[in-house]
Amino acid sequence: MSFADTWLFLQQGVLSGLVTGSVYALLAVAVVIIFKTTDVPNFAQGEIFMVGGYIALFLILVMGWPYLAVIPVTLVGVAVLSGLFQRVVMERVIASKGVGVQMVIATLGLAYALKGLVRTSGLGDTPRSLPPLASTDAVIIGDAVLTRLDLLIFAVAVTVMLLLFGMFTYTRVGRAMRAVGMNPKAARLTGVNLTRIRMMVWALSGLISAVAALLITPKILITPDIGHIAILAYAAAIVGGITSLPGAVVGGFVIGIAENLVGLFISTNAIVVAPFVAIMVVLLLRPQGLLGGKLQVKKV
Amino acid sequence: MSNKIDRILLALMAVVLMALPFMASGYVIYVVNLLMVFVVLALGLHLVIGETGQFALSHAAFYGVGIYTAGLINNLWHPPFFVSIIAGGLLAAALGYLIGALALRMRDIYLALSTFAFGEAMQWVFLNWQSVTNGSNGFRISPATLFGYALVSDVKAYPFVVVIAALLLWATVALSRSQLGSAFRAVRESDIAAQAMGVNVNAIKRTAFTLSAAYAGIAGGMYTLFASFIHPESLGFQTTILILTMVVVGGIGSVRGAIAGALAFGLISELLRQALSFQEIIYGFILMGFMMFAPKGLFAGRAARRAPPPATPLPAASRAAATASKSPQRSAA
Repeated sequence: MSFADTWLFLQQGVLSGLVTGSVYALLAVAVVIIFKTTDVPNFAQGEIFMVGGYIALFLILVMGWPYLAVIPVTLVGVAVLSGLFQRVVMERVIASKGVGVQMVIATLGLAYALKGLVRTSGLGDTPRSLPPLASTDAVIIGDAVLTRLDLLIFAVAVTVMLLLFGMFTYTRVGRAMRAVGMNPKAARLTGVNLTRIRMMVWALSGLISAVAALLITPKILITPDIGHIAILAYAAAIVGGITSLPGAVVGGFVIGIAENLVGLFISTNAIVVAPFVAIMVVLLLRPQGLLGGKLQVKKV
Repeated sequence: MSNKIDRILLALMAVVLMALPFMASGYVIYVVNLLMVFVVLALGLHLVIGETGQFALSHAAFYGVGIYTAGLINNLWHPPFFVSIIAGGLLAAALGYLIGALALRMRDIYLALSTFAFGEAMQWVFLNWQSVTNGSNGFRISPATLFGYALVSDVKAYPFVVVIAALLLWATVALSRSQLGSAFRAVRESDIAAQAMGVNVNAIKRTAFTLSAAYAGIAGGMYTLFASFIHPESLGFQTTILILTMVVVGGIGSVRGAIAGALAFGLISELLRQALSFQEIIYGFILMGFMMFAPKGLFAGRAARRAPPPATPLPAASRAAATASKSPQRSAA
């Protein structure tokens, strides 16, 4: 491989990585906000994302709606589904004294149920994708080639993340969510309604997953098993330190770029296993992640 | 009391298992063989999650290592079948020891995620190590033999499968009654308290992982006795979750629960094999339903022998308690 080739591959890998990485970052943020406020690693993250894609597909392909109507309905639909799951199922698990293991298994139950429901709908029989939101004309940056759609994905993802940071920093409800994440008991004493906040966090997480689904589904083919993509979101969240929002964003970009570089320089076959290796290496060498702060030791 | 019921149930199970080959067809025997494998898998996961409280999600990987090791040895040299099963168990145990080393460094979600990653990476190995596992084409296992007697059918393998499962069940119960079992449970309740009591926490965790992996490896060997084909697709996270479900819905920390869960969910997954979407929906709702209304599972584990958790004191009650015990505490201080 000559130097010029390497340089070209590097540019292409980094830029494509930033695009896919921005979607992983969104999903990682969706994982992290739930983990921070409710202590639940949401194993249904990928399936919630998948359902977002299929709601949009259903509305466009079967109902024939225009994008203008599809986008808000999908966003609201997934947010409501996700919020309801917390309100109905997870609150009930907490009420029956379920702890970590039980809550994880409840989310696994949701994952299975959603996958099965999408499969029975028949839409999942063949891999499909949404009509493009933006034109797929090529845009050349440096020596690398991206499409307009790629730029749109990146721009929207970054905007959503900025809005989220604004929300968590400046609004009452955002601060209440952070307070619940830091110390639920103290938050309740200051008048925060825990049940309501937890429901809103899940709804918010669903909303972010739906955004990610709407962004990436025009670019890739989806099947009911696309939920596997959440593994990359988990890898991103872990690389960044599973309780840090900026960490999740950085982790998303790191994973996206790493994935593309591995694909270009090593082999496309290695892409599949790369995130697992990343998870194990990070957990072994720096268990708190890149931006996870100091490692905490639990005392009895 | 419950001991008596256990004995009756065990006797009943033994009678049914002994009568079965004379009354049932080949398919039923195949399903029972499979259920025995699930029982051993569930017992193995019970050791590491139920007894020791380490949330490990790589059971299917060890199961796969057992299947491929036993199958390969069997295909190459045709030794008496217990040799290949033991080899599979040992290799899985060695890997389990390594993963146990991970467990020393992390806990809870970190452990869950890293073992999950290990399991997925192993499935990738099964899929891509073409020359050994035949990759995505699946792997054919020739019939196991015992000194020239070939186990060519489900019925011929059946007695051996049942005996191995019974041996491992006995080993599990003996283990949980031994000092090692107490040490496992001490680690489950609290690392630090266990250490303070003189339990070597690191060694105990490693032992739990090694044993659990050995069980899964042996289960893999049992599978090679009656099955002739394995595909890496069935050695992924789905299978780990199936076994986890057996253990959790059966009742975390209870051997009875692990067995009941293995039988119930093994049957469900086998009966609904043809209808994937229905299997997933039913599965999902069972999981959510159980966690909502009976999170401790069918058989809550050893609750009677554990001290109740300290209730969070109400402000008034704690104040009263504080005043009541004020003078002795002060004097002690």
